[in-house]
Amino acid sequence: MKKLMTHIVAGYPSLKKSEELLRLMAKNGADFIEIQIPFSDPVADGPTIMQANQKSLEAGTKVEDCFELMKKMTKIGSETKFLFMTYFNILHHYGVEKFCSRAAKCGCYGLIVPDMPIDEEAQEHYLKNCRKHGLAPIQIISPLTPERRLKMIAKVAAHPARHGALASAEGFVYCVSRFGTTGQESKLNPQLSSYLKKVKKHIKVPLAVGFGISNKAHVEAVWKEADIAVVGSKIINILNENSGDLKKLEEFVKGLKL
Amino acid sequence: MNSLKKYLLNSDGHFGKFGGRYVPELLIPIMEELQKAFLQAKKDSSFKKDLLNLYHNYSGRPTPLYFCENLTRKIGGAKIYLKNEGLNHTGAHKINHCLGQALLAKRMGKKRLIAETGAGQHGLATATVAAKFGLKCRVYMGARDVERQRPNVFWMEQLGAEVIPVKEGGQILRDAINAALRDLISNPEDTHYLLGTVCGPHPYPVINTYFQKIVGEEVKKQLGALPDYLVACVGGGSNAMGLFYNFLDDKKVQMLAVEAGGKGIKKEKGKFTHAARFQAGEVGVVEGFKSYFLQNSEGQIEETFSISAGLDYSGVGPQLAYLHDIGRVEFTYAVDDEVMAAYKLLAKTEGIFAALESAHAVAGAIKLAKNLPKNKTIVMNCSGRGDKDLFIVTKKLGDENFANFLKKQA
Repeated sequence: MKKLMTHIVAGYPSLKKSEELLRLMAKNGADFIEIQIPFSDPVADGPTIMQANQKSLEAGTKVEDCFELMKKMTKIGSETKFLFMTYFNILHHYGVEKFCSRAAKCGCYGLIVPDMPIDEEAQEHYLKNCRKHGLAPIQIISPLTPERRLKMIAKVAAHPARHGALASAEGFVYCVSRFGTTGQESKLNPQLSSYLKKVKKHIKVPLAVGFGISNKAHVEAVWKEADIAVVGSKIINILNENSGDLKKLEEFVKGLKL
Repeated sequence: MNSLKKYLLNSDGHFGKFGGRYVPELLIPIMEELQKAFLQAKKDSSFKKDLLNLYHNYSGRPTPLYFCENLTRKIGGAKIYLKNEGLNHTGAHKINHCLGQALLAKRMGKKRLIAETGAGQHGLATATVAAKFGLKCRVYMGARDVERQRPNVFWMEQLGAEVIPVKEGGQILRDAINAALRDLISNPEDTHYLLGTVCGPHPYPVINTYFQKIVGEEVKKQLGALPDYLVACVGGGSNAMGLFYNFLDDKKVQMLAVEAGGKGIKKEKGKFTHAARFQAGEVGVVEGFKSYFLQNSEGQIEETFSISAGLDYSGVGPQLAYLHDIGRVEFTYAVDDEVMAAYKLLAKTEGIFAALESAHAVAGAIKLAKNLPKNKTIVMNCSGRGDKDLFIVTKKLGDENFANFLKKQA
């Protein structure tokens, strides 16, 4: 069964709207949803998500609000798994152990932290704390990742995280589809297939593919090669284009899974 | 005994708990490639020869170490020497690491240079080496800095560089760094990001320290004896590392780094009014490295304030964070008014216009000299010359004639 992951920036355009948006996407077939905790310096994000980060912070969104949002969403009784996506300084400032413990208590499934590479584990004990608290530390791979690193990442990704001390969640590995930051694109990377073949030689957990995935055709193409299609910026763009009216968005998300 | 010098150029880029390479996966192979090229170049005698040749015949090194006799007499304390990095080609020390990194970019077969800039000095130096080495060039500059440093924007454009005003965030140096990192993430194969200070992910702090250490090496030779104190201003920290590095293992030499005190070390309406990371910052991980950053209670990076665009930055080089924590370098700050007073005094007594960044070091050195006996020596780094600040200084000093001149020109 092919899966869909969507994304929101918590507090954009408002916390109330975020909650509506999450409910809507969970109801309409999102298997995973990234809840991005806004950060002042989101270096891996393109203009759409970057501006959403900035506006959310200007509106006063706090890390605590994001935990509360997570807690609320994991209690609505949907099958959807919710992840936190953010940048490492948010965890570092909160305390990595404390953050992981709190996130797990809120029912969070896993963490996506693009500026926390495995190379800094000895300094930060990020993976260790994720595992201790049953969170899946989602690893990221790019078209430039050499085989040597794919092997290193494979080892980390194969380590099963306990989810909520009950079920075992194997998590997945997030493959960035192309060079660049997050953002809508008209065409997919023509080398996507050969890139993912190389990845699959080493990585045995499910693969998610994101960055530039913005319509049904893209999603279908990803599903041919991988397990989870990730749609991010496009959702915020639709939200912006319809000044917060969720009707169009509902149709869009529903359409992706049909 | 352990050599601090060796440690601060170590090959894994951690300095105590600081430094590291906290970047998205896509950038890791790029940073590894740069590190490899650097380590190979360091061992290559022809690379060193090329670099020295450029230092001497292109940039005009060695820069003078000048005894400020009049200033010393006026202050009545320790002897003050000034390392005049402002006499470099392009007017500041930034050309040192730009030449080095341009040579590296050539070795790696890169076709395009990108850079961030605050005051415009690093952007100007990057545009200069790009012109010289026949590389395409794009410089990211906070939109607010574009407004206050228009002359440098014009010069960069004359050199063939494309200057992109960055409209995100506070529209200053930090936002320009983020924009440059995003460009590199988008163009990792043909582009070299010529990062302009001793910040950023490994290997940038190591590389730029290596290319800047010529400053201290020259001072040691020129003075012929060890100074008692070294004084430098600190934004990201490239000129400070350049001056300090070669003396780190000379225990007798004390080091003072001067941060931008802006309007003073306090908060106004919840906002910082300075850029003094060691006064009010906390350890964090931003823009690829771990160091002290001015941040709020949520771990969001805060905007900074300084009269000098080049020091207006919320983070500081990880090697300096380490030197702070082990007590090797003492950190202080100068507020804008002290900086202006020092700027004027140096001009009137010695006939030298310091860049507003460097005037922070002058302010620090003057304060220090007052309280030291006459047999002590201080070397301060005048990292850049003041021409670029013409418009800021005339405005700050309220020069009506200049304002009228501008009106007439318009």
